[in-house]
Amino acid sequence: MTPHAAGRALVGGIGVVAFLVAGTVAAALVLVALGLPAEGRADDTPPAPAPIVEPRPTELVVALSLGDPVLQAGAVRDGQVILARGLEVDVARELARRLHIPRVRFVYVRPASRLLAAKVRPWHVTIASIRPVRAASAVADLSTPYLGTDQAVVLRRGLPRLTALGELRDRVTCALRGSDGARAIVGSVRPALRPILVPSQERLLQLVQTGACDAAVVPADTVGRFVADRGGLLGPVTARVELGGGYVVAVTRGGPIAVAEVDRALERMRMDGTMHRLARTWLGIDPARLRALN
Amino acid sequence: MRVSAANLIAMKCSAFVAFMAFALALPSAAGAGVDVWFVADGKPVVVVRNGTTIESAVRQLIAGPTPGERSRGLRSAVPRDTPLLSVTVSQRVVTVDLGARFAAGRDAGALQGRVGQLVRTVRGIPGVRAVRVLLEGGVPVGLFPGYDLRLPVTAAVEPVHHQTTTRDLQRQLVDLGFMAPSGLTGSLDTQTSTAVLGFQKWANLSRDGALGESTVAALERATRPEPRLRAPGRRIEIQLRRQLALLIQDNKVVRAVHISSGAGGKTPTGSFRVYRKERYSWSVPFKVWLPWASYFTGGVAFHEFGSVPTYAASHGCVRVNHYDAPMLFGFAETGTPVRVFDEAAV
Repeated sequence: MTPHAAGRALVGGIGVVAFLVAGTVAAALVLVALGLPAEGRADDTPPAPAPIVEPRPTELVVALSLGDPVLQAGAVRDGQVILARGLEVDVARELARRLHIPRVRFVYVRPASRLLAAKVRPWHVTIASIRPVRAASAVADLSTPYLGTDQAVVLRRGLPRLTALGELRDRVTCALRGSDGARAIVGSVRPALRPILVPSQERLLQLVQTGACDAAVVPADTVGRFVADRGGLLGPVTARVELGGGYVVAVTRGGPIAVAEVDRALERMRMDGTMHRLARTWLGIDPARLRALN
Repeated sequence: MRVSAANLIAMKCSAFVAFMAFALALPSAAGAGVDVWFVADGKPVVVVRNGTTIESAVRQLIAGPTPGERSRGLRSAVPRDTPLLSVTVSQRVVTVDLGARFAAGRDAGALQGRVGQLVRTVRGIPGVRAVRVLLEGGVPVGLFPGYDLRLPVTAAVEPVHHQTTTRDLQRQLVDLGFMAPSGLTGSLDTQTSTAVLGFQKWANLSRDGALGESTVAALERATRPEPRLRAPGRRIEIQLRRQLALLIQDNKVVRAVHISSGAGGKTPTGSFRVYRKERYSWSVPFKVWLPWASYFTGGVAFHEFGSVPTYAASHGCVRVNHYDAPMLFGFAETGTPVRVFDEAAV
């Protein structure tokens, strides 16, 4: 064998070995790729899937139901809300600002039941007086409440401010029949005198104005309007009966907004007085600032 | 005569075009101008303006009352300088597209009122069936209380003028403590008149016992009488100037009773207590039976009497009408404090 021939044979031998090694590695990779059992793999820990990072939106899309002049109302053209105002609208705008999203776009969803029931929800958050019930939490991530749904106590003129709910026990209390207020009287006040339950808010106002009723128990988020309607004829709104709960922001799952950051933004809005300002502007009083009695 | 489909369509189109021209450009039926609606004392008021079209009527509405009309009390809830973007007519429905300024403000009454003015003004044009209101080309939802503007509006929401009935007023008198619930009869009887006298005394109105305009207005805004003093328990305050007895339980006036005390200051002022009670008491000096008598100082008592005028008329006792005398007798248990005030001297 000539040296050249011997060299070719050596090179050829090395080439065969290299070919075999490369082939084995390739086969192993193919097997791994085909999903053979783990014991066939060299490393048992699969690589973690790369997280899907949604790009930060340049506009916050907020679904509204509209229809309440105080909480949310507006004008709608082709499903887009071209003019929006109300407490919840302002909350949404503040939320966007604190999430560093430069624009807010409101969409009108009708009927309101579609806000949570729709299969496809092309909006980031829903703000529409949503209560944190199980049906809502099953389909969306729910924030902490931005507005409480407690009951407030409106006294007739001449009565001193309440310091304890027990002070109402020997008073004549009243509420709308079948309302949360009526339930709060029975469950929290436990009055010694039979409460007056009436069918209309007009009658309720009249009873407190005339003193036939000493204290009306009404939703805290509407009490400001309740008192403003009869300016000076009613006594002070002195207290809040805590029932828990409130209206929450529903964050669409799988979207770019995390409920935790919504919660942080709402907390900052509470802490820096923004929520108080908005409540005073739209509701007349801030229910959260009423003394809570139980 | 057979009319072909094409001819029928052409005829319908001509009729529509003719109506459009009529509505948008031609004079109104009267020919003297257009009716524009404003408000005076909360009630809709119409004024006639020069103009011949729906658009001119809406523009006149937006312009508001003239200075002369304002001096006569006319007002408009429509914000001045509201942009009028377009007025179109289709099938006798007029669509008025306004700028967002039309929805300015948060006063529910003003928001409702301005839509009412617009609807009245446009519906006043002969041939107009309904009005559709748009803001910046969008349909308003929830912005104007009382109106669902997702649909064309055919009539303005009338301002609420609740027709107050006699029963309503009696209910108010009962709620305020001037009358017993048994007085809720629905008819103007002497018990109601007696309660009205009590209210008129409290509210410093002229004492005629009638539900006149000023009394009704005062009743609708009235609140429960307040005691002059604060003290726990059951007590009675007599206010001589008002000629009113306040029956008080734990600082709440449970009843206010029309009385007549001693003429010429014969009922003494001061603090007393009920010390004797007689269902029928024989008055020795005046030789008369006094029903439901509760004595609180010397020979001075609360008692029923047939005549309870609106002024101090007795010999020193406190006369009470027969509707309230048994109730007051039951309330004034022996030992009940009685405080007699001459309000001017307090």
